[in-house]
Amino acid sequence: MRSLLKISVLSLFAALTLASHAADAARLKVGITLHPYYSFVANIVGDRADIVPLIDADANPHGYAPQPADMIRMMSMDVLVVNGIGHDSWAFEILDAAGMRKKLKLIYANDGVSLIPVAGAATGEKVVNPHTFISTTAAIQQVYTIARKLGELDTANATFYRDNARRYALQIRKLRAEFDTKITGADLSKFRCATMHSGYDYILQELGLQVTAVIEPRHGVEPTARQLAETIDRIKAAKVNVLFAEKYFASKLSDTIRQATGVRMYSISHISSGKYTPEKFIDEMRENLNTLAAAINDSSKGGA
Amino acid sequence: MGQGHGHDAITVSTAALQLVRPAGARFEGLLLAAIAAVIIAGLALYVRELGRHESHEPLYEWQVSAFDTLTGADQAIYNALFTAKDDIPYIYDDINVTTPDNAVFRWPNLQDLQDYELPPFLHDRSWQQNGSLKWTLFEPLAKGEMQGSTMYLGTDGSQPAQGSFLLVVGHTHAGFQNKNAISIWWNSKNHVEMPQSGFRDGLILQGWREVVPHNGAQEVKRIFGDDAGSSTSTKEDQKQADQAIQGITGN
Repeated sequence: MRSLLKISVLSLFAALTLASHAADAARLKVGITLHPYYSFVANIVGDRADIVPLIDADANPHGYAPQPADMIRMMSMDVLVVNGIGHDSWAFEILDAAGMRKKLKLIYANDGVSLIPVAGAATGEKVVNPHTFISTTAAIQQVYTIARKLGELDTANATFYRDNARRYALQIRKLRAEFDTKITGADLSKFRCATMHSGYDYILQELGLQVTAVIEPRHGVEPTARQLAETIDRIKAAKVNVLFAEKYFASKLSDTIRQATGVRMYSISHISSGKYTPEKFIDEMRENLNTLAAAINDSSKGGA
Repeated sequence: MGQGHGHDAITVSTAALQLVRPAGARFEGLLLAAIAAVIIAGLALYVRELGRHESHEPLYEWQVSAFDTLTGADQAIYNALFTAKDDIPYIYDDINVTTPDNAVFRWPNLQDLQDYELPPFLHDRSWQQNGSLKWTLFEPLAKGEMQGSTMYLGTDGSQPAQGSFLLVVGHTHAGFQNKNAISIWWNSKNHVEMPQSGFRDGLILQGWREVVPHNGAQEVKRIFGDDAGSSTSTKEDQKQADQAIQGITGN
């Protein structure tokens, strides 16, 4: 009798262990390349999947040089969420180096995003802007795409992912309502802005704000002396009173422009640095919108 | 130094030197300059094209590109509508969740869209900045062959040279091939009346053009060609996911 009980307990234990291993095996390991995608995926999958950032949290994704550890992390992933249109091209170097290009499934977050050209480009050419994640509406579109694609890979949780995506989208949309309350009574006709690079075009367009000039001819490429002189002339002629610069990457260039034109400078986050957290995207976008509201209110009062 | 060795033995009269130009010298010079010009122009074009967007999506005459053609407020409104087309079926699910199966399900009205804070319908500052379009809803008849489609018309914008927008929810019972397929149309006129139906041919005759985005999927194809890596989506994957999702529009 006693040995029968022993066998029963052992069998139960073995069954539970097997079930637990099976659940682990079914649990998706979702890789991400950029900080906003960590937040998007975390809010979609909740506790039903694991998230694996491809590069370290403190690494700068601008011009990132792939490391051997990235390949090891990549090999543990079931799927990788990428921007794919120009902001994480190093992920494709890692894919090639790890021999995973045709093996690892990719979710192109921008698949369903209606892209816009870089605003205020001096050359007038229409170049695709890859900064779709510094936004609200384009961010929501990406959340929906990621949730749908994850649901295709993990059909058991497809409804769960979709519902979470919707809840998260409503939270993102609330940011716009908060922003609106902060600029009540502001005269937006006095707001004229230039940006150091094209990173803020999506959010500015969503808010109905136009960019007059972009300083960098290409993302991360400083203008020549002649280009800079022409841009300064354009800023003066268009009576630009606000310059948005990157929060995490200081540039002497912005000081030069500020001194030459008298514009007031504000810093906006690229959401591409610091710890990976589920709250990061909403926290930093809220901060960005607060900065935009401050810039609008200052220019409305003639403070620039 | 013996005779025949050394320069002393040679005397040259400079007066005897005569430059003889080849017969085709001018032609060769021109040819060389032309080849150089072609090479330089070719290289310049190549460098220019490297960083340039080229719209590879072929468009019909009755379509316009959101990326290449629309600008300013019109582009902003289209991009908001482009995401709204995903939200509207979700809102439809929400508002009909308690509707009995034998009753008529309704599509979100303009108040619903306000309540859900959905751009570009929401009356906020960005709506004002983008021309304060006046939105109206055409609700299809409950029954009959001429039920029509659900249509949201935005017109009379205050921005200079602003056009009008129409979001059409094509219903199968109204003769559309795909269930609740949503399309977005743009008309260059600032003021237009609500169309009688959402059918393509009628809209085209009235000056409407379907707006086509340059989306991320097309851009990835432009960048990587066939080397874009493994996609997550096969048609079978999508079908299984659709079947797995519980919801009115998902079924």
